[in-house]
Amino acid sequence: MIKRIAALTAAVLTGLLCSCGEQSVVESQTEQVTITLSWWGNDARNEYTLKAVKRFEEAHPEIKVKCSYSEWSGYEARSRVQMFSGTEADVMQINVGWLSEYSPDGSGYYDLDKLSDTVDLSNFSDDMLEYGRRGEPESTLNAVPIAMNAQTVYINKTIYDKYGLDVPTHWEDFFEAAKVMSKDGVYPLAAADKPMWLYCVAYGEQVSGKKFFDKEGLMTFTADDFKVMIDFYNRLVKEKVSPKLEDYQNFNIDNGVYAGVVGWVSDAQNFMSKAINAGNEIVPAPYTAFEGMQNGEGWYEKPATLYAVSKNTEHPKEAGILLDFMLNSHEWAELQGVEKGIPVSSSARQYLDEIGKLSGLQYEASLVMEENEYISPMDSTIENSDLYQHFFEACNLVLFDKETSDKAAKDLYALYIEDYPV
Amino acid sequence: MKNKEHSRPSIKKIQHIQTAMIIGYALIVILAVAVVSQLAVRKTDTVLKSKVTSLTSSLGVQMKLNLDSYISRMETIATLAFGEPSSYTYDATDPNNDEFEAINTEKLISDKLYSLCIMENFVDYGIVYRNNRTVGKISNATSSLFGENIYSELSSMITRTRTNDGWATGYGNDFRHIYYVKKVHENALIVISFYANELDSVFDNPETLSDMEIELVNQDYNILYSKSGSEVGDRLSDDIIDRIKGRGSATIMDDEYLISVNTCDDWYVVCSIPTALILSEKNEMKFFIYLAAVIAAAAAVVIGWILSYRITKPVKQTVTNLDTKARIDQLTGIFNKKSFEEYAHERLDNDDNTSACAMVILDIDDFKSVNDTLGHAFGDIVLARTGSMLRTTFSGEDYVGRIGGDEFCVLVNHTDDGMDIKDYVRGKCEQLCRMFDSNYTGENNDYKVSASIGAAFSPQDGRGFDDMYSACDKALYISKRSGKDTYTFFENISESEGAK
Repeated sequence: MIKRIAALTAAVLTGLLCSCGEQSVVESQTEQVTITLSWWGNDARNEYTLKAVKRFEEAHPEIKVKCSYSEWSGYEARSRVQMFSGTEADVMQINVGWLSEYSPDGSGYYDLDKLSDTVDLSNFSDDMLEYGRRGEPESTLNAVPIAMNAQTVYINKTIYDKYGLDVPTHWEDFFEAAKVMSKDGVYPLAAADKPMWLYCVAYGEQVSGKKFFDKEGLMTFTADDFKVMIDFYNRLVKEKVSPKLEDYQNFNIDNGVYAGVVGWVSDAQNFMSKAINAGNEIVPAPYTAFEGMQNGEGWYEKPATLYAVSKNTEHPKEAGILLDFMLNSHEWAELQGVEKGIPVSSSARQYLDEIGKLSGLQYEASLVMEENEYISPMDSTIENSDLYQHFFEACNLVLFDKETSDKAAKDLYALYIEDYPV
Repeated sequence: MKNKEHSRPSIKKIQHIQTAMIIGYALIVILAVAVVSQLAVRKTDTVLKSKVTSLTSSLGVQMKLNLDSYISRMETIATLAFGEPSSYTYDATDPNNDEFEAINTEKLISDKLYSLCIMENFVDYGIVYRNNRTVGKISNATSSLFGENIYSELSSMITRTRTNDGWATGYGNDFRHIYYVKKVHENALIVISFYANELDSVFDNPETLSDMEIELVNQDYNILYSKSGSEVGDRLSDDIIDRIKGRGSATIMDDEYLISVNTCDDWYVVCSIPTALILSEKNEMKFFIYLAAVIAAAAAVVIGWILSYRITKPVKQTVTNLDTKARIDQLTGIFNKKSFEEYAHERLDNDDNTSACAMVILDIDDFKSVNDTLGHAFGDIVLARTGSMLRTTFSGEDYVGRIGGDEFCVLVNHTDDGMDIKDYVRGKCEQLCRMFDSNYTGENNDYKVSASIGAAFSPQDGRGFDDMYSACDKALYISKRSGKDTYTFFENISESEGAK
């Protein structure tokens, strides 16, 4: 018996000693797929987007989203570098104009029709999806629009009321307003470069009765038309309707130096929240026009922004899951609200309606756009930065008496036709 | 049989020793296991705390190095702006500037700045002049935040005199943007800003330490960045502030928190985690150590008990055998004289008179002639049979012994239920006589072996052993004198002597 106990004890001890030997320790890490997301925007957009991304990561712990974002200025050039260097994000917010620039044949971005298993495209009408299609004869779905956007004239009605002026609807209303406001250093209307460019284009189109680009994408404007635009800009500056482009400062909206601003529908909150919080009544004015013309002529609407997926993405499925979350989920829609305009996605839009978020200045500006019959779909080429940079260089030559407006317009036209067919 | 049930004190002592040994052994084992397991738990605790503290300290230092590296990179990018001479030669506040040329120069500087920060997630990367004119990338957010005081407020952020620069955040309680400002010349400064969230990549900690709170705080302990999502701008919790206040670089661990703090310029990188969370494995380990200790102690006690039993069993058996041999008459299987007298003495001398008992002496008649006639071997058989007969006749409660060569004695302690002891003993005596009469008639039924019996009762015939034995002996003598093969009660002798 003792032998048996001894043998058993020995066996147990041997077993214990063996089990106490060096064992390799393996610590498994969760395998996450990392995808990148890029966008541009203001503080509010950045904040809610980061929160929404966190919601997405909680809902999909297997996916990590690395974010890259900044304000608009400089983003376009950065996007170009990324697109041509193959370092673009997996999912990106893009401008409609970039589709023509980077994907004229539809091959510059991922074909989103291939992600129909993960992205619910039934929430979008064919007309809306058409904005994101490129290539002939069989177009490729390169991007999905988020919301529609248009340049809008925001008026600080409180200031206009102070001067006994109505909300301006015609070009001359602003010049009349400048006569009474300028003595106090107040500008009736201000704009940064692109909004000012599109404002001048609207003026030029109303004067000429032509579209800047025709349906074939050919430039219809001539040197005479550019002269009209240059003269108009210089008149705005000289008659103190607007500050020089280079003098434009956003904080002058807050402090009441600017009584009106031209900006995107999607910029309403960004531009005006401080003025609104200071007790000013801000309203979206009708699209400026000549007397007797329909408001909206010469003005353009376009998808505010679109989401696209990189053609080089190594994780199309995960990118698709994120894309669907951004476009259609209630979680994302709740945070985004109408910051980018009224969502195009029927799912997001319906949800916002249910929770009472279809309201505010941005929503009112969206309605002005949606309810206008004369506003036109934008040819995205018109947003090209070289167009307006050259234009304002020409304007400055005239403004500082370096050249006549005739000469500046002819030189500008000559410059344009090098890149834009007529 | 009472004879076997009776054991000597030595046997009982062995049993007591065995029990004490097992209990003592069990106590020693349990105590030893308790001490060892306690030491193991304490050592584990110490080692675990030491390792965790060391790991957290390393993490804190790594986070600080990451931040240093990030800050250094931002400062380098700001310095790159000096690569464009116009950036430091141009002064937008100079009233002699030609406005047109100024616009072109600003455009040149602006283009340069944009190209330098093109791939960075900067909110701002531009030059601000004393007249609040800006060149480069100055965001709407920054423009709105500082308004008309943009130059003076940004200038106040320059805190380092050697390099004319500084870091700041929290202006107007806005902790979302982190600013780096560097003087360009008397009337200009360059500003870089980025969102606090950009520090995600700086403070990206491994998944195994995902419970660790990593926060960047300023000297007022306002949170500039929080890995866990605590509200930026809020004050660090008082519990943590109390522990890190006045410390620049340290790792602190107590019952509630494990905290690592490292200074990075004017800011602190604080890594913290509740101790209970980081040492949760310790409790699990403690449980297993104690469980193993209990199992080991139980196993040791059981094995000890078995071993003790196995070791003492032969000793006990040997002692028991020796004891039996010392007490029992080997020929008849009943008590020998010494044992019988010992037990009888004990019984009778300590008798409290509450129970009646009797003593019976049996002597084989003419046993010498049995030996002479039938041989000693047959004589031994007769003795053995007599012993056997006595054992079967009397109960197990009675003491039966061989007290002489052919003399036997029985101390009757027991009667059948309700029976008078005298009647009981009389019945037994008659039974014995009959048994002798029928069983001992020789090999050819031609030899009769008989026995004479004397009996006495306590307390009437005597109280102690000696009295009772003497009374019995007298009764036996009467039986012998009256022709043998009979039995006599002492009381009958007394009565007859009294009558005479």
